[in-house]
Order: sequence, then structure tokens, then C-alpha cells
Amino acid sequence: MIRFIFGRRNYYPSSGEIMASIEDPYVLIDKWLRAKEFIVVGKGVARTDAFEKALGKAKYVEDYFQSGILFIKQVLSTEPHARIKGINVEEALRKPKVVRVITASDIPGENQVGYALPDQPLLAEGKVRFHGEVVALVVAEDIDAALEASESVRINYEPLPHILDPLEALQRKDVLVHEEVGSNIAFRTRIRKGNVEEGFSKADVIVENEYRTHHQDHLYLEPEGALAIPGLDGRLTVITAAQYPHLAQSIIARVLGVPASDIKVIVPYMGGGFGGKDDEGPLTAAKAALTAYLTGRPSFILYTREESMRTHPKREATIIKYKSGAARDGKLTAIDVTIIHDTGAYANRGPFILWRATVHASGPYHVPHAKVDGYCVYTNKVYQGSFRGFGNPSVQFAAEAQMDELARKLGMDPVEFRLRNMLRPGLTTITNQLLDHSVGIADAVEQLAKVSGWYSKRREYGVSTGRFRRGIGIGVAWHGISTSRGVPDWSNAYIKIDKDGSVTAFTGIVEMGQGSPTSSHRQIVAEVLGAPIEKIKVTFGTSDAPDGGATHASRGTSIGAIGVLVAAAKIRERLNKLASELLNCSPDEVVIREGKVYVRGDVERSITWEELIKHAYSRGVDLSATGYFFLPKGKFDDTVGQGQAYPAFSYVAMIAEVEVDTETGKVRVLKVWPALAAGRIINPQQVEGQIEGAAVQGMGYVLMEQLVFDDKGRLLNPDLTDYVVPTALDVPEIAKPVYVEDLFKYGPFGAKGVGEMALIPAPAAIANAVSHALGVRITKLPITPEAVYFEVKKHGLIK
Amino acid sequence: MFYRIPKFNYYRASTLNEALDLVSSLNDFKVLAGGTDLVIDLKVRRYTVKNVVDISRIKELDYIADDGDRVRIGALTKLQSIADSPIIREKAPVLADAVREMASWQIRNVATIGGNLCNASPAADTAPPLYVLNATLRLVSKEGEREVPITEFFLGPRKTALRSRELLKEIVIPHEPDCGASFLKLGRRNSFTLSVVAVATLVKVDKNKFADVRIALNSVAPTPVRARKAEECLKGKEISLNNITEAAKLVLHDISPISDVRASAEYRKDMSVVLTRDSLIKSLERVGIKV
Repeated sequence: MIRFIFGRRNYYPSSGEIMASIEDPYVLIDKWLRAKEFIVVGKGVARTDAFEKALGKAKYVEDYFQSGILFIKQVLSTEPHARIKGINVEEALRKPKVVRVITASDIPGENQVGYALPDQPLLAEGKVRFHGEVVALVVAEDIDAALEASESVRINYEPLPHILDPLEALQRKDVLVHEEVGSNIAFRTRIRKGNVEEGFSKADVIVENEYRTHHQDHLYLEPEGALAIPGLDGRLTVITAAQYPHLAQSIIARVLGVPASDIKVIVPYMGGGFGGKDDEGPLTAAKAALTAYLTGRPSFILYTREESMRTHPKREATIIKYKSGAARDGKLTAIDVTIIHDTGAYANRGPFILWRATVHASGPYHVPHAKVDGYCVYTNKVYQGSFRGFGNPSVQFAAEAQMDELARKLGMDPVEFRLRNMLRPGLTTITNQLLDHSVGIADAVEQLAKVSGWYSKRREYGVSTGRFRRGIGIGVAWHGISTSRGVPDWSNAYIKIDKDGSVTAFTGIVEMGQGSPTSSHRQIVAEVLGAPIEKIKVTFGTSDAPDGGATHASRGTSIGAIGVLVAAAKIRERLNKLASELLNCSPDEVVIREGKVYVRGDVERSITWEELIKHAYSRGVDLSATGYFFLPKGKFDDTVGQGQAYPAFSYVAMIAEVEVDTETGKVRVLKVWPALAAGRIINPQQVEGQIEGAAVQGMGYVLMEQLVFDDKGRLLNPDLTDYVVPTALDVPEIAKPVYVEDLFKYGPFGAKGVGEMALIPAPAAIANAVSHALGVRITKLPITPEAVYFEVKKHGLIK
Repeated sequence: MFYRIPKFNYYRASTLNEALDLVSSLNDFKVLAGGTDLVIDLKVRRYTVKNVVDISRIKELDYIADDGDRVRIGALTKLQSIADSPIIREKAPVLADAVREMASWQIRNVATIGGNLCNASPAADTAPPLYVLNATLRLVSKEGEREVPITEFFLGPRKTALRSRELLKEIVIPHEPDCGASFLKLGRRNSFTLSVVAVATLVKVDKNKFADVRIALNSVAPTPVRARKAEECLKGKEISLNNITEAAKLVLHDISPISDVRASAEYRKDMSVVLTRDSLIKSLERVGIKV
């Protein structure tokens, strides 16, 4: 039942007159969206975990390990593609302290953990599909015994021909990663808007390029780990590093063949996720749970860095063929895009990632005619998965390179050209979704061009013929909030107030460094209840909280905190009613602020927060509530990719200034300027942290990070020696972000997502800046010194 | 690849004599100094040995001594001590420059210069500066001591001129007051990274001519190398950008890089030339000459 009416105040549901207080989430969300003054929202409130983390006292999964707990070591495939003829565990079992060797046949429930398609086993069954796939678990009394025995598990492989190149995989039918599929195409997407032939016929300039982007490892500080304890609390309890406790719970239940209610998942502080632990976390948890279930003993798994890099899913590698046209007046007329994602051995979340890339293929621009085809292709490599940006950084890189090239051909400034085409309220996206509100990107880009000195630098740079050449580039991007198309999404949380006035919010949102439960959630509860912020405790990452969805897709606050807002708002309505009786005023006149409850305009007519809570307990007011909210979704037709793709979009832009040493190829990013149109900024300090972290992670991706595979698909650099990420000395100056608070009607106080944002335009901004510096279009990532050097040499830019 | 450190017998020496006794009585051993290379190499099984001789606590090999005309560095001197040493900064600044860029502060406080040399990685960053400084290594065994020029110490990747019963005692650097030297490293990021190529050069100048030139590179051959052809080409020549540029190209005669996960051979070749030229220019700047 959707009863939301946007644009009307003091709306009460028809049954409202007989209700004690408002419980309708639409009304409550709207009421708080319209708040004009704030107590803690919008302020840089320090997160509750700051000191614990600075002092090294915060506990992560590994910190709960104690001696006496069984240790699990994984046995990984040494073949890229092979039938498993047999697994000989005899020798391993004879090793001292070895308790058990677990293989696929030991799994009591389903050996099926594919998220989007049912194509993936927890432990390899029948065949292995990549070098590094997990085949068996060796369980021993301690880590050394497990490590030693793991080398004695003998797997008899019958090698099969393997495919590493996605273009080859697309063509071939004789070598199939998944025979049952009949081809190596795991999934297809398409968009058909208007008529591209007509669009291109109206174009005065056409640009056509092929782009390639590469894998990226998350390289979270904390590798994957899980500790499973049978019987604790009457259930099998798993302490794990996963981004969605309820998903881990359901995967474990499926693998064990038990009801989800028999499983409890707790996610303590997590040392980074970035999407990787959204995919791998539940699988890690399931391996520990399976071992505990089969042995009846507490069991612990912790990946080594090498194991982590060889097994967990990576950012997609892509090939993007992009044709776009524009008319002389600077308006885009059409785009024709083919996106190929190398999904590796399993689909994992590949179809969702491909959908996101497909729907965002235009960039945040209005394009009347669009044709997009996406292919998610199997190969015998470690599989692709969720990673900050989720298919979007690669396609925005391509789209933004196209925008620069079109602007060049039209003789226009790239920012000017973008502004002419930028999405604004009232325009439609390439899925023909009408954007009715919360589209602040044009304003953000205009401000960003100003603060960065864009127009003068763009003219000044890019003309040097010396050794060191400066360039400035822009990347503009958009990112749909919530799940794509009609895929259901909701928020929930549970809040209770104890007799002493202390408040606990229970949420499944996790704390993985981003800080949403320890900052924004707490601020939102404090703001809505009016309770002193010190009294607000957020218990996060527990499957005992109502299922409110994952901490991914930049939704920790934007969607994740709707639940705490609605739950707090329900209780607040009840408290207002109670206070109005106690203070002899109307509920609308009740002010609760930092522990004081008083009548608006008459601070003397007051009681304390604690007194109010005592009255509530003695007068029968329910001080507990859940905050369920089901996000309304429109229609979407998958066959033509038309309809409502997302409830709203966050927008982000980045300008990067670089200096290229043409003789070594080294690119120095001198400064980046970020801009964000992501609705209300609940905590500017946290948002700034997210932007800075994402900008650096994006810069690392573009300039230095790359996975190197040999001809068997074996990862050659699964370690910190040769997988290179930025250090503090590589980080450029990052300007204070430009914020445009384009409120989203269903977001808590109008907030949209932030976490992924600044990474998404980073490849585009930096690549465009390098292209500007050199006068040569960069179409392939990463832009390592070596790659730049040979590009320079190829084009004869130096003597 | 499973990272379990294999079992071995562990011996700890607290004096140099004890260490020499151990290495002359044991077979199949590795010497542990800072351990930042060895421990990992044992885990990944680059080496499998029965015995490990820990010399890290031998205090008498941890020193930087200024003898006026030479500087002596004990083999167990920590890299960070070298980077911080006023003696090194005054008398062999090019070594301090190289060491400061190595690894991280934490590792530099554990790793030793002797370990970096005896590990004999082709990418050892202390080697190029010591090459151009004409350093000699004093090797010691129960039979006595001998000196080996550093250019004769490295025999191949992980192979040195050390005999099986010998230990590196100290590094001796002659002090040459009238020279300019510099170190340039190209890595895949700005710190805490292995060299793709690194170059050290040293110049002595006489009336606008090169009186002496030394050039050394790492990561471009099985061992760190001197670029003799390029050096010879410049000696006695007038100082000019053209002469430097032409000579730098001759480093290709003395290097034989491979392609690996860090860089291609072709890139390493080209960068050897670029870095040699840049380093020569920088070395000249240090004696007050701008080209």
C-alpha cells in the first residue's frame, strides 16, 4: 500500500484520526525530510569507534580466536580447468593433529552459493574452473598442523582446455566453462531507446573507440575470516567479516540444510570490505560453519593474503566498444555501446554488475537514442564480483572519454559540452526514466569548474612540448541508489529505549570502516528522538536485528538508515503525544532537544528526557519499534531495458590535475577536486573521509594496480610485493568537496549514497587529464608509467 | 603456495667468534641478520635449510666508523641508522639517499646493510651507491680476513663471493671529497617498492671535463652492474648535455634486463638510459655544475 503524497504537509492517513500516533513510514520520512533546523544532523559528530580504533583496542574477527579452536586451511586448485577424478585425503588424515578433511561430498545441504545464477559451488564439485578455486578444507588442532596437512591432499585432475580471453570465450562453443549453459555467455543485457540509426544520422560528429579496463583487488587490510561456535545461544553462531549478516545467515543455512533461525551471524568491526566481503564474506562464514557443524567444535578460518587474492572475486575487467554522436549545437544524438565483462569462472554478482554498467552507460547525460548490449562472459580466471562502483567506474571511463573526444571534434570546452547534455529534473535517462527531483549534478559541475580554475587551466595546459606536461581532466558520473530495476529493496531496524533513557538501535548494517552505524545512524536517532547523543547506542552487524539489507551499493546510510529513522520517528510520535499530555500543550508544540523536553516558545514548561521515559514506562507507552520501509519501485522491462532503473541517483564529479613525465611515463596527480550531489550530508567529516578514501583507491586503480596472470590463468602477483597500491607518498592533494544537497524524498533527511561515489569518476578524470597533457587519447587502463611511456613513444611525442 | 615456515635448527651467536664457530661447524645453513628477506624466503621455500644461524644480536657488527679517509659500516648496521647517520650524510650521501627510499621505516629499523648485500637480489638498492663509491667488503672466516671489491661480490641472483664458512664483517667506503654523486630509483609507486631500475652515478670534474665517472645500475642484470662503456666514453670528455645523453645510451652494453611482473625488458632498457642521464646531471649539480 503506497500512500505517499509528496508536497503536502501534515498529511495523516485516513485512519489517522483513530490512531494514537503516526506510524506510516511515508509520512514520517517526509516529515523529517522537511526539518529546517538540526541538532546533530549535518554536523561533524565524532564516530563512537574513533578512540577504540586509534588505540588499537577495536576487535576484529581474528581477535576472537583462542587456542583450542580448530583451524581450517583451504586447498586450492592448481589447474585452470580440469575434471576432478578423485581426491585422496588419506595421507593428509595421517598427519598429526588433523581432525578432518572436508570436500564437496561432505556438505549436508546444498553445495550452491551463486548469488545471481545457480552456477557456483562452495567447494569444487566435478570440476575446477580456475587456478585457485577451493577444493577442500583441511581441519586440524592448530594452524601449523592444518598448513602442513593441506599440502598432502592429493587431487587427481584431468586437465581440460581452458579459456582466458573473454573475446575468445564469446566465440567458442567447443570449450565451455559451464557445459550446462551451452555457451560461455553467462548473462546478457540490453537497452533500446529511440532509434540509434536516426540519432547517428543527425550527428555532425561521431566518435568510436574501444576501451579496456582491468581487474582490481580490494586489498582490504583485514583478510577474510570467520569463527563458528556451535551451540552458543542455542544456535550455531558465526562471527565473520561479511557485509550482510542476514545473507551470510541464509547461505550458511542453505549449505548446512538447516533453518536460518538456527544460525546467528555477528559481524564485529571489519577491516575494510569494498564489496569484496559482500561476495566472499558469506562463503568464508559458510566454510567455518560447515566445519563447526561437522566436527561439533568451534572452528576458525583466516585467509592468508595470497589465498585472499587468489580466491576472492575481483573488480570486473572489461572491453567496451563505444560509438557516440553529437550535433553541432553540442547536443548528444545517439550512443551505441557494447559492454563485455570478463566474469571469470562464475557469474557471482556479474549479472547485477552488468545491469548497472548497462543502465549507466550514457553517463549522467540526456541521450535521445541509445542502444546498449552487455555480455557477461565466463573465462577460466578468478571470478569477478562487487567492488566499490560495481561496474560503473569502467563504463564511466569510456563514456567520459567519448565526451572529451566529441567536445574536441566540436571545438567545445569539455565542461561546457557536458553541461549542455547534463541530466536535469524533467529529463529522461537512457532507460527512459523521468527524473523528477534530486538531480543536482549541473550545479555541482559548475561550482567545481570554478573552484578548480578549470577554464584557464584547460587552455593553458596540454600545449607543452617539454618533458613534463600538465593536463587537467574531468570525470562526471552518476550512480543509482538501491538495487537496479524492480529488484526489491527495503530498510529496517529495531529501536528500544530502556528505563534509564538509554537508547539502543539494532541494525544489520555493518561497520567496515565507513562509519555509518557509528556516526550517521546515531546522529539520525539522536536527531529524531531528541535524546542526548551520548545515550544512543547502535548495535550493528547482527542477524538478530531485522533484515535491513546489505552494507553495499552506498546504501549503509541512504537506505540502511531509513530503518532507524522510521523506528525512531514512530517512538518520537508517541513521546510527543505523551509529553503534550504532561506539559499541557499540543503534540506539535513539543520540543525534545539534547535531553530536555519543553513547550515550543516556553522553555520553562519542561521535564527531562529521563523523566519523560519514566512516565512512558508507567503510563503504558511502547518504547520499542521497528522501522520497516519497502522502497517503491517502478516498472522495468528487461527485454528493452526501459523503465525505472533506480529510485534516484547520486551524482559525482572529479577534476584532476596531472603532470606527466614523458621520458619515464610517470604520472603525478597533483590535485583532485571532488563534487558530490548526494542529497543531505548527514556527517560532513565522514563524507569527506569516504571521498578521500575513494579518490585514492580510484587513483591506485588507474595508475598502478594490476593483476598479472600467466597462460594458465594463475595469478602471478598475489602478494603485497607485486600488487602495488598507493602509499601516503602517492596521495595527491584532495580539495574540500563541493556539496550540492539535492534531497532524495525517501532518503533519511534526504540523504543519498556516498561510499562508492568518488571512486567512480576517478579513472575518467585522471585518464582525461593524462590525455589532455599528452594530446593522445588514453583508451586502456591502467595508466602505468610503462604504458604511458610506450604511448608517448608510439606517437613520437619525444625525440 | 602455503606459507608455513619449515622446521629448522636455530642457533644464535652473540659474538662474531661464536658466529664463525657455528658457520664452520654447521652444514646446510642460512644466516639470519634482520630477517626481512630470509624469513619470507624460508616461508615461500626459496631456500630449504636444516639450520639457521642468527647473528642479529652481535653488537660488535653494528657501527658506522669515520676513519677520516674512509668510512666503515658494520654488516649488522640497520638501514635506518645509515639513513640517519651524520657521517654517511657527510661522506657518502649517495648511500643515504638510496637507503632512505628503501622499504618502510619499520623494515629499515630491522633490515641490515649486510643482509641487503648478502641476499644478493639483483634489485638490492644499497649496491649501486656502494658500486660508485668503490666500496670494498671485508669478509671474515676462521682462517682470517680478506677484502673483496663490491663489484666482484655479486655472482648472480642470490649468489655471492662469500665462501661457505665466511661472513660479511664490514663495508669500507673510501672518502673522496671532490665528487658529486646521486641516486635515482624508478619504482611502481613513490615509496616502499622494489626498483624497476635504479641508478647511482658519481662524477669528478676537472676544468669542465669529466675526470672520473662511475655508473651503476640494479634490476637490469643478474647482479647490480657498473656501466663501464658509458663511464669510459665520458672520461676526459667535456661536460655537455649532448655528451651525457650519448654516453647514457651506452649503458645498454652492460645490462641485460628481463621481463617480469614489474616491467618489460624493453622498458627497463629505455629507463636505464633516461635515469643514467638524469643521475649524471644531478651528480654534476652536486659539484655546482648545471648542464
